[in-house]
Amino acid sequence: MSAAVTIRTIRLGWAYMLLNMRTVFRQPAAVLFVLLFPILFLVIFSSLLTFEIGLPPEAEGSVPAIKFSQYFVAGITASAIFGTSFNLLGTSLAFQQFDGTLKQLAATPLPKASFFIGLVGTALAYTIMQMVIMIALGVAAYGIELPDAGGWLTLIWIILLGVPAGCVLGIAITRVMPSANAAPAVIQLPFIILQFISGVFFTLASLPTWLQWVSGLFPLRWLAQGLRSVFLPDAYKFAEPGMSWQLEVAAVVLAVWIVVGLGLAVLTFQWDRSG
Amino acid sequence: MAISIRGVTKRYGPVTAVDGVDLEIESGQVYALLGPNGAGKTTLVEILEGYRRRDAGEVSVLGMDPQRQRSELNRRVGIVLQRSTPMEGVTPREMLDFTAKLYDAPMSTHEALELVGLTDQANQRGSKLSGGQKRRLDLAISVIGNPDLIFLDEPTTGFDATARRQAWEIVRGLTARGATVILTTHYLDEAEHLSQRIGLIKGGRIIYEGDIAGLRREMESDTRISWQPPPGFDPSDLLDEWAALQAGADGRLSLPTQQPTAHLAQLIDWARGRGMGEIPELQVERPDLEEMYLELIDDSEAQEQARPQ
Repeated sequence: MSAAVTIRTIRLGWAYMLLNMRTVFRQPAAVLFVLLFPILFLVIFSSLLTFEIGLPPEAEGSVPAIKFSQYFVAGITASAIFGTSFNLLGTSLAFQQFDGTLKQLAATPLPKASFFIGLVGTALAYTIMQMVIMIALGVAAYGIELPDAGGWLTLIWIILLGVPAGCVLGIAITRVMPSANAAPAVIQLPFIILQFISGVFFTLASLPTWLQWVSGLFPLRWLAQGLRSVFLPDAYKFAEPGMSWQLEVAAVVLAVWIVVGLGLAVLTFQWDRSG
Repeated sequence: MAISIRGVTKRYGPVTAVDGVDLEIESGQVYALLGPNGAGKTTLVEILEGYRRRDAGEVSVLGMDPQRQRSELNRRVGIVLQRSTPMEGVTPREMLDFTAKLYDAPMSTHEALELVGLTDQANQRGSKLSGGQKRRLDLAISVIGNPDLIFLDEPTTGFDATARRQAWEIVRGLTARGATVILTTHYLDEAEHLSQRIGLIKGGRIIYEGDIAGLRREMESDTRISWQPPPGFDPSDLLDEWAALQAGADGRLSLPTQQPTAHLAQLIDWARGRGMGEIPELQVERPDLEEMYLELIDDSEAQEQARPQ
């Protein structure tokens, strides 16, 4: 690809992102769902689950035990990132494929790459807004300490890898949806399962080893683990299955999912399924 | 030639939607593909647009194969789909500003809005537009890139008479810019008002190709003489003489003819020779194009209803 083509592709991707954000942000239901849902979860679960998480014996005594709510902030933030990219994008894309919205777009010279860039950009913008709200809430209501410089850096690269990974998987999964009405169900099933096995609702250490393995194959667990490294005291890495935050593994798994998901998305994407 | 296709065929299971169509459309022409619902118009047009793959045949649209060079073709083609869904929450101005960015030499959003008469609704959200206004937005989106070729798939279906007249004016405005236009419609008058040439399509085949005047000549060529023979009369000697004579289910005889006066005189002689004072229910009629066309549509609609689901 020549430089001019690349620049045009990115410029049109940006233009599509701005247009697409209007679509999303002018639907009150979508905004409420994505912004409010994780926040409600955070409030409800934190009020219900007030037990403390203990550390393994070798780390005990070095730091005080924390409440599950603090652990949960990281998990629900990861869930929000993955939900916005995978869940919201996959569902809205399926609706646009089946109702013919994208059929019109397919008649224009908008490159598929620009279209994908626009979708990822929209999800990124959305995610950043969610992060601001959730971190503010976490600090104000649950005593989460703001991360240090290294923590912020980790947060940024986790978002920059996690959102595209969720997006390309969201695009790819539309292919198996038999109809627009089936879209939410098709997308919720893997999402809910992943939430339960990826250390969002329960600590990873409380899961059987084989389930920890399974969750390790998918992006959500690594998003959650990476975010715990951002939001929890460093000593809590001893509560992780590998006794470490394993950030390198997280980066590799997310990067592999971006490549695999993008390949699937490009191969299976259909502009129009209305006919 | 803007479009040149040969032997184009498309099958859906046992149904052949497009059946070996040949077609040549000159640049700068407004060409109407006219035909009843289910005739294969949209399938054919969507093959030309690149939405559908053909099973057989050759297609050249602006010198390109829409199946292989679609993205290149999209830069020079504008498409108004039969049904469209505007992006939710986006105004016509925003949609057109965006669309203009996709083309090399677009017209301005202002110009496109003027052209379709949507200036007053430029800042209304898509979901608040009426059906006709949405259609105008479709038109504006399809022409803002200054395309060389425009496809209009049933642009006025569902419109009332006034809205159709207005839409025709807009389409005339577009064609005045020199683009080739391919229009599909099942309204004869729409084809007549807008196009220079028509292809009449039925059952996936083009059954007439040429201008409306030619279609009129072809379809109206025959006057019909018909009457109800009284019981007991044997018309077999007439059948010998007039091979084209047809007997209806009710026994009514009718003769399509290009020499109605001569044939009528013969018929009167024949009736006199048999002592018939008055020929019962004698009619001499010349169905006009509209009637012939409606008959054709009825015919295919009946076929469609008879087709197993």
